[in-house]
Amino acid sequence: MPTCSRSERSALADDLPMAARFGLLPSLGLGVLLVAVGSGCGDNRIRQPVVDGGAVEKLRTELVSSTGAANGGEAEDSAATGTGWGTLKGRFVFAGTPAEAKALIVDKDTEVCSKDGGRLLDRSLLVDPSTKGLANVVVFVRKSSRVKESAPADAPLVFDQKQCEFITPVFAARVGQEIDVHNSDPVGHNTNIAGTSFNQLIPAGNGTLFKPAAETAMPTAVTCNIHPWMKAYIVFRKDGYVGVSAADGSFTIPDLPAGELLEFQVWHERSIGPNQALGLAEPDLKWSSKGRFQVKIEADEVKDIGTLEVPATALGG
Amino acid sequence: MNPITLPDVRHPRGPRPVWGMKLPVLLVMLVMFAASGCGATPPAWFRLNMVEATKQKLTPEQERQVATVISAMFGTPDDPVALPETGLDEAKLRLAAGPVRSDIVGRKNGLYREHCAHCHGVTGDALGPTAAFLNPYPRDYRPGIFKFKSTERADKPTHADLTRVLKNGIPGTSMPSFALLSETQIDALVEYVKYLSIRGETEIGLIRAIFELDDEAEGKLPESREFLVGERLAEVVEKWKAADTALIDVPEMPADIDLVESIAKGRELFYGDKANCVKCHGPTALGDGQANDYDDWNKYVVDWTTKEINGESDTQWVNRAHRVLDGDALKPRTIQPRNLRRGIYRGGRRPLDLYYRIHAGINGAPMPGAKGTVPPEDIWHIVNYVQSLPYELDGELGADRPMVARDRF
Amino acid sequence: MDQDKRNRDAGSGGNPPGDTWVDGLPQGRRWSGIGWSLLFLLVPVLGTATFVIAPYYNHWLPKDVSVHGRSIDDLFYFILVLTGVIFLATELILFWFMWKYDAAASSKPATYIHGSHALEVVWTIIPAATMLFLAIYQMNTWADIKMRRPRMSPSAEVVARQFEWRIRYPGRDETLGTPDDLFVVNDLHVPIDEDFLIQLKSMDVLHSFFLPNLRMKQDAVPGMKQPVWFKATETGTYDIVCAEVCGWGHYKMKGRVTVESRADFDRWLARIEAEQKATQRGPDEIPMAAAD
Repeated sequence: MPTCSRSERSALADDLPMAARFGLLPSLGLGVLLVAVGSGCGDNRIRQPVVDGGAVEKLRTELVSSTGAANGGEAEDSAATGTGWGTLKGRFVFAGTPAEAKALIVDKDTEVCSKDGGRLLDRSLLVDPSTKGLANVVVFVRKSSRVKESAPADAPLVFDQKQCEFITPVFAARVGQEIDVHNSDPVGHNTNIAGTSFNQLIPAGNGTLFKPAAETAMPTAVTCNIHPWMKAYIVFRKDGYVGVSAADGSFTIPDLPAGELLEFQVWHERSIGPNQALGLAEPDLKWSSKGRFQVKIEADEVKDIGTLEVPATALGG
Repeated sequence: MNPITLPDVRHPRGPRPVWGMKLPVLLVMLVMFAASGCGATPPAWFRLNMVEATKQKLTPEQERQVATVISAMFGTPDDPVALPETGLDEAKLRLAAGPVRSDIVGRKNGLYREHCAHCHGVTGDALGPTAAFLNPYPRDYRPGIFKFKSTERADKPTHADLTRVLKNGIPGTSMPSFALLSETQIDALVEYVKYLSIRGETEIGLIRAIFELDDEAEGKLPESREFLVGERLAEVVEKWKAADTALIDVPEMPADIDLVESIAKGRELFYGDKANCVKCHGPTALGDGQANDYDDWNKYVVDWTTKEINGESDTQWVNRAHRVLDGDALKPRTIQPRNLRRGIYRGGRRPLDLYYRIHAGINGAPMPGAKGTVPPEDIWHIVNYVQSLPYELDGELGADRPMVARDRF
Repeated sequence: MDQDKRNRDAGSGGNPPGDTWVDGLPQGRRWSGIGWSLLFLLVPVLGTATFVIAPYYNHWLPKDVSVHGRSIDDLFYFILVLTGVIFLATELILFWFMWKYDAAASSKPATYIHGSHALEVVWTIIPAATMLFLAIYQMNTWADIKMRRPRMSPSAEVVARQFEWRIRYPGRDETLGTPDDLFVVNDLHVPIDEDFLIQLKSMDVLHSFFLPNLRMKQDAVPGMKQPVWFKATETGTYDIVCAEVCGWGHYKMKGRVTVESRADFDRWLARIEAEQKATQRGPDEIPMAAAD
């Protein structure tokens, strides 16, 4: 008979305190584990900033109450601080030995893109071997009070691509200026300018007009989705005060408003600074980590800020 | 035979129940109960755009300021605020916002959370609980880019465009049709999507504005109405307002067009250097031409990872960035050009819809527009050719030789 | 029987009244015996009440608007009555036994029997015969809804996918898979009093195409074409639901079937066709700002 005899029962009962002692620890452990697991079902992501409800309410009241149109929109200090025009020039040199440029992987339209066995090289770091000049550094004015009027260009600027490469690796234009996005190749391309929603087919030997509508805070990437290795940068500014360093690293920005403190923004494709801003150790120019420096130019002055050394570390090693 | 004796089933009088044994079990049960309690829903809130904030290296103080400002401008998911400048209808927003519930007259509220939030997320950041399992990922409204619209590429969609997407769903993706919701409900949801998009884009604008600050500002955004509403919000809202006047001009398809001839012309254009469809959609139109490209949303994450995180030396920031990638971004996926032989058209199957797609391209996707380079009549030819692709062209096409679909099941 | 007698003797001898364990029970034991049997009596009572009340709360079969629905409903009611009677009888017998042989009320000890061969044969044969009868009785209905497919090409194709019903009409040429096919989502339209043949497919996982009012339910299996047919008898709009848990959004798979006159149906098809061939914007797509 499978009956539990009394003696067996009492034996079990005698053991019970023991069992309880041993049972408690593992179950406590299990409990702790469960708490750990349980807390895990909360948010494991980066913690969000805590917002003070009072501050939100206060700000909202301000935003809603002053529904009036102009509440003393601080007049831009357009008061002409000067009358003449000056020029800024300088030269970027690369302090270090650049690694050999990598060849791009060209796997489409090879009969055109790698014609005669030509290889396309990565152009993100172009250093002139003799002068050490660093090309394609962009310098532009952040804010200017006045702009020298020049005769409107009668022909649109040409932004061209040939042999599956954008001819100008860094291109600058004024907002509102017509650009002929051109294709000098016998194969079709498309040109996709990030942040502008411009992405159009450019048939072989043809072009299409594009008028940038807004400034770009920093140069923006231009790609061709058909040939993914193709890359260039383009910068649109309202005032057009943009300088791009040439092969020897020199740049010039003419016709800058004289007599006022101008702040320039510097950019390079490989720069590790925020938004690819190029920060340099140039205390005289108050060069900041955001890649900005300040200069005041007198009328008719050609201000040369000299040779600026760009350490290899600023461009990612 | 002897009677069967059953075991003695009487309750033993023996030992009293020993609590020592039961206590741990009870304790465990209590803990389990408590642990299950962490599923209790806290009030919903909008999540700050951590990818952009980390990318722009915001300090905690700056993050808090952006969160405060955006909260003041747009409220919370339970209590949305539409400043008059947004042009949004707050009554519609309230119908879509908040937890799912019925109001005093039995009208359904909280529509967004009922129908949309599990994929698109409460914030409209495409980080809802089901998002990671979908391919393609749901739309992140915050960058303000929408694919399927009747306006020019750079422009926002119209209210009617978003309504169509909601009604028809997006075949080929996980977006289902909401055609059976009432017009009022769809209208409220469209309004709410716009709200989330405007909110998200304004937020991105605010975060990026921090980099643009002059040094005197000491990293603090101005909290003036002029800057917040007059500049940052206006910049976004203007684009939405401009959408209604940015419609793609669609010329009538030539009435005397001969379909067979048109398809032949379209085919020529498809393979030709001008329209160049073949480069991405592939010589068989199976969408196998260009398979290693990203759409804008994924490219944003890829670019950030490859260009900035991988080149950064500040390990603390890199660790944080990786946590942000884990929690606030989805693993980037490449985008596939459409397989045109399946007869599934995400943005709608009308010839008109295909015209839009070819004319303007698809914003956010690598698909370029043919506007300006391919004349409208030729676009119609391409439309006709694309529409014929899902069907077998069995030799010569004519009235007595209809096109027949290949059966794929 | 002898056996019974012996059992009884053995029982009364082996377990005399007044044993200690009976004393140990609380004084209300008499009540507990009645209470338990009454409690179990609630099962048949509430069970019957549920079925009686349900229709008044609209928890009954939805309105039948199909030709073959009648025979399905008849089968349903027939089986319901059959099982209902057996259920009630069984429950009442159970109650009666509990009441009658309450240990506290009766001092008669339990008797144990080996079983009754004849009884077992009877209670095996009766259900088996009933089952067999049902199996044969329903055959015609089954054949009507699942086997005797109307000889016609499909009137529409329904493709289930997570989480919607994509519907395709063959268009003017009455052939599916041609360029004039018409596409709609979640909104099936059906002409009244006509055979309607659906070709059912699934794009991803198992779904089940369920038309409660048309008494039609068919699993949609990926990789298979399932024919589904019915003839609607009453105009109106009815539900399409998914009757197979198909994923997290299963609840979303709700569609609508509209039964309408042939003329209305043709008008609707023509509207869909015009919409689908559109090369220009419809009036609702032109924003007011642009219309000026």
